[in-house]
Amino acid sequence: MGSFLRSTWTISVFTWREGMRKKTLIGFFILSILTIFGSSVLTAYVAPTSGTSTPSEIESKMIKDICLTTISIFGVLITIFISASVVPNEVENKVIYTVLSKPIRRFQYLLGKFIGVQLTVILNLVLMGILFCIAVYSKEGIFPSLLIWAILLTYCEFLVISAFTFAVSCSATSAVLPTIGGLFIYIIGNLTEYLKDVANRVGESTVLADKIVRETAYWLYMVLPNLQKFSLKNQVLYLSVNDPPKDAQIPQVIAYALACTVVGYIIALWVFRRKEL
Amino acid sequence: MSAVIETKNLTKVYEGGRRGQDVHALKNLTLTVSTGEIFGYLGPNGSGKTTTIKMLLSLMFPTSGSIAILGRKDYGASDVKRKIGYLPEGAYYPEFLKGEEVLRYYGQLYGLHGSTLEKRISEVLDIVGMSRARKRLVRGYSKGMRQRIGLGQALISDPQILVLDEPTTGLDPIARKEIRDILIRLRDEGKTLLISSHELLEVELISNRVGILYEGDLKAMGSITELLTDRDVTLEVRGASPEALQRLTAKGIQSESQPQGVSLLRVPNTMSVYEVLEYCKNEKITLVSVAPRRETLEELFVRVVGAAQNEKKG
Ligand SMILES: Nc1ncnc2c1ncn2[C@@H]1O[C@H](COP(=O)(O)OP(=O)(O)OP(=O)(O)O)[C@@H](O)[C@H]1O
Ligand SMILES: [Mg+2]
Repeated sequence: MGSFLRSTWTISVFTWREGMRKKTLIGFFILSILTIFGSSVLTAYVAPTSGTSTPSEIESKMIKDICLTTISIFGVLITIFISASVVPNEVENKVIYTVLSKPIRRFQYLLGKFIGVQLTVILNLVLMGILFCIAVYSKEGIFPSLLIWAILLTYCEFLVISAFTFAVSCSATSAVLPTIGGLFIYIIGNLTEYLKDVANRVGESTVLADKIVRETAYWLYMVLPNLQKFSLKNQVLYLSVNDPPKDAQIPQVIAYALACTVVGYIIALWVFRRKEL
Repeated sequence: MSAVIETKNLTKVYEGGRRGQDVHALKNLTLTVSTGEIFGYLGPNGSGKTTTIKMLLSLMFPTSGSIAILGRKDYGASDVKRKIGYLPEGAYYPEFLKGEEVLRYYGQLYGLHGSTLEKRISEVLDIVGMSRARKRLVRGYSKGMRQRIGLGQALISDPQILVLDEPTTGLDPIARKEIRDILIRLRDEGKTLLISSHELLEVELISNRVGILYEGDLKAMGSITELLTDRDVTLEVRGASPEALQRLTAKGIQSESQPQGVSLLRVPNTMSVYEVLEYCKNEKITLVSVAPRRETLEELFVRVVGAAQNEKKG
């Protein structure tokens, strides 16, 4: 058992070290850092508009909005990019031959790779998050605990996207298809609420076409991961930054993310188990 | 001698996109590699050597037939793989690591760690002659250096079985000699080696047994001494005029001209050496030497593969 964990961890650390050198990833990361910094500088020049808000409230809301959006977009890009590429790259550059010929089981290899991807994603997110918190703290002077919850849930969203992108990548021969797949999962995952709307709006109509639409929409809603569950954006924007998150069932949401991840990993394993290299 | 690697009716079909596009890469291969021998696995390009080797390492799976390694049918199990070192065809190692880090990584995958691993890394770097380049990035390695570090990762766990897919391809003559010596030393330590190669001279020098594959069929297999029995005698002569050689050829004695007026005459099976010597004496040809000659592995290879090709054509 000890050696099982040790070898898995070896693969994770290796994947992480390799991941942190990817130029695309470093590029995304630098861009996000610049945006987060830029937002604090930029907002200082925004003139107060009418209304009851004070200039400093508007300023801090803008910072929060820009930073959350930045973290979400760049974070997702980094996540998709890295999850889509680790396995196909290793197949392509044939390093996988030397790794899988060692006493390493395929599920162990995938586990190591997946954990390595998570280490990379987490490190990026933590760095961006710290800068975000510093930016907000320097404006408001209070510890932004709500942001930490928001970032935690953002990570859960990344985890789900990562798991499904990873699953797609295990059947692909290059990183292109899984990257597109990952973006697709991200977009669809954020639209699943609409599917429920569609299902409801079709209503109880007994026309065949309507029935098909309703059933399809309903099933897609049930099957696809719902990424809206992970967003605390409205609370971050409209509540005070040291408030606890309001009526978000955080443990349930985390459990949901973990369940989605397990499903993603099982799909990945099922695809990869007998893959010919 | 017990069988270390055993395949029975091993067959591999790569499925093509359309009907009739399937590649039958390996057909009913039955092969045994025994303890303490170097088995030379030969065959033209695309004959199925790499396919066989990948199946032995569970990188691919047989379409039918069976494999047993060290008597184990579950040859993909971790405790079996722990005893196998593998050098894949071509050399691909993590570019961003240093030479010693590559060995450390693979050593850890074998479950080695701590001072045992560090000691082994130094030993292996020494064996493959890479001690001086151990701190350099793989990115900056030459082809031969990559091949050496590749051999290093195959040796890192001191495995009982070595499966090497073209270990000397792309190496200079000195390096080849060094690698050959390493392989012989490993065999003398009691390891079992399966080596695929196109370097027939080399294989002849080090192998105990060889197998020749052609389009997925094993066309010949046996020990070097068994397979290369076709002995004849060659006379080295000097001062033979072209006309004299022509007259000899007419009598069925093949000749081959060499530099500095030397010619080689092959004594055909139908004649005795004395008969040929008599002809030489009549033609006033000077005898330099008489030597028995064994068929080379290259000749065997050409003969076996050529026959297989003809059989396919007609
Ligand atoms: N992944 C694959 N998909 C389809 N066909 C393949 C695949 N790998 C190999 N083949 C085919 O299987 C046959 C055997 O290939 P293999 O690589 O085993 O040959 P080899 O003996 O190692 O040749 P070489 O000496 O050139 O390395 C070839 O016809 C090749 O085209
Ligand atoms: Mg080959």
